[in-house]
Amino acid sequence: MSAYVEVTDLRRRFDVSKPWLNRVIEREPRKFLTAVDRVGFAIEKGETFAIVGESGSGKSTVARMVVGLLPPTAGEVTITGVSMTDPRQAAARRRLRARIQMIFQDPYASMNPRWRVGKIIAEPIRAFDLIRGEGAIRARVGELLGLVGLHPDDARKYPHEFSGGQRQRVAIARALASQAEFLVGDEPTSALDVSVQAQILNLMRDLQDRLGLTYLFISHNLAVVRHMATRVGVMYLGRLVEVASAKDLFAAPRHPYTRMLLDAVPDLAHVGRARVPVSGEIPNPIDPPPGCTFNPRCPLANDRCRTEVPALLDGVACHAVQEGRA
Amino acid sequence: MTETILSVRDLTVAFDTRRGPLTAIDRVSFDIGRGEILGVVGESGAGKSVTGSAVIGLIDRPGRIAGGEIRLRGERIDNLSPEAMRRVRGKRIGMIFQDPLTSLDPLFRVGDQIVETLRTHTGLSAKAARTRAIDLLAEVGIPAPERRIDGYPHEFSGGMRQRVVIALALAAEPELIIADEPTTALDVSVQAQIITLLKRLCREHGTAVMLVTHDMGVIAEAADRVAVMYAGRVAEIGPVASVIAKPHHPYAVGLMGAIPTLSQEAERLSQIPGSMPRLTAIPKGCAFNPRCPKVFARCRVERPEPIPVDASRVACHLYDAAERAA
Repeated sequence: MSAYVEVTDLRRRFDVSKPWLNRVIEREPRKFLTAVDRVGFAIEKGETFAIVGESGSGKSTVARMVVGLLPPTAGEVTITGVSMTDPRQAAARRRLRARIQMIFQDPYASMNPRWRVGKIIAEPIRAFDLIRGEGAIRARVGELLGLVGLHPDDARKYPHEFSGGQRQRVAIARALASQAEFLVGDEPTSALDVSVQAQILNLMRDLQDRLGLTYLFISHNLAVVRHMATRVGVMYLGRLVEVASAKDLFAAPRHPYTRMLLDAVPDLAHVGRARVPVSGEIPNPIDPPPGCTFNPRCPLANDRCRTEVPALLDGVACHAVQEGRA
Repeated sequence: MTETILSVRDLTVAFDTRRGPLTAIDRVSFDIGRGEILGVVGESGAGKSVTGSAVIGLIDRPGRIAGGEIRLRGERIDNLSPEAMRRVRGKRIGMIFQDPLTSLDPLFRVGDQIVETLRTHTGLSAKAARTRAIDLLAEVGIPAPERRIDGYPHEFSGGMRQRVVIALALAAEPELIIADEPTTALDVSVQAQIITLLKRLCREHGTAVMLVTHDMGVIAEAADRVAVMYAGRVAEIGPVASVIAKPHHPYAVGLMGAIPTLSQEAERLSQIPGSMPRLTAIPKGCAFNPRCPKVFARCRVERPEPIPVDASRVACHLYDAAERAA
């Protein structure tokens, strides 16, 4: 147990059954959606671990379980050795909470529109009782605004007076207000325009260098992940299919899904590229294919892939790679 | 260039408000040739979607075309009566929008919707129209079209629905297709399939396409030429390879540098300070001047007109012969 964040065998099942009466009348069994299935990874202090995947892959569900917004069905998350689920560690967890913060995709939805930005940023300071005295709190808010590239006077404005990028800066300032050291960003730049996205990504990297932050970065955008991450986990239908350092993953992807994904991304370097796109779409997660969930779309699938779930061994969950067929 | 299908000259779109008219599109000019894909790219608020809506005559009040002209094969279409424009729409100009569900009626089978379009615009018999609809569905890559034709939109996946919308847009063999963010709502693996499909169909049918998107990667792969828009004006227009590899307008330079790519790892993304101006506060002179790293006195007073630079046309005083000599 040395890593900053340890996620072991994490699972989350959602009940998507019809109401009881319908089930009785239509004689239907309960239905479950396994959003996250046996996911495990570790994040070292000061690094950026990114999870990429398409919609429905379960990446946001993992993020929510890591910060404790959603209880896992099974498995465990420990941060600095403190379990996020064990009731016996409640006191230690309460002390840890201030150091974990989340940044969401839509900064406007995560702020009270009737509060001035100064009050929004001061909220975690008051909630955790970090600083006492109005003057001292105001000074700290001004300092935080400066840290994210805004002006201390902006504390008097309301969220609607800011542009999307500035609002995301406010969200980051609020996350840092409680002296957070671990930030979980769920698509933090997906709602922003590219030039503004560049500002926020650069800011997040600068803050990491200055404050030694640890990031869990959730994104569907591979180019953004490449820019931000030290290590990357690729998710497909609730399972982690490949974990590798960002360098290795982008230079030599191993899992057939990762290869397909990297090949599919439209990129500036591909002017007028003609290619053979992969066939098929992500199957319905309520009724996933047996065996390896990627097998209906995989060019390397054989009988074993259709029956047996591959385990994540040496950073890749693929029978073809493990058997040396890839 | 081959035969010009769409010619837009000095198009100006204004929105009347209580505080006077706001100019959303300001003297925009471009041409699209037969079988050519013109990418229109810009950040939110650049006016790219409004330009598309103006071409298909779907500017709603209080917006109006305040100046300039739009010609389809030399014929003016911006001043047609609503009834005459309705006949042009669908027959001569096809449309593909971001969310395929809003373009399809959930209460009708997809086949009926294609048959209706075919019968309205081509006068085919019901039986011939149905055969043609099956052919169209097959052409856009829908498996088992003779069975799927009787399905409802909700029975199709996102990618398949967008294929149906493309079939619908192509039904009357239009000369021009306006595609507004056609792949934005789709996952990357499906996005690649749709881009490839759109490219192939335009080439085969000789259809001109105006591809409106914020995603430079999509433009890079799909478009022949690209127009970069900023604050309702065209900053730079030219062949896609040269605009991406060697942009001239400082905004285009900043935009390309801000996009993280898969092919190279940049330590920092180049960032453009500030954000796009609001319509109520478009700066005098060049709209980009407050954010421009190369701004000089003339930029703040005089609006630059597009001038030919290499293979592109660039609206920037830097490239004016008089400034170059100085």
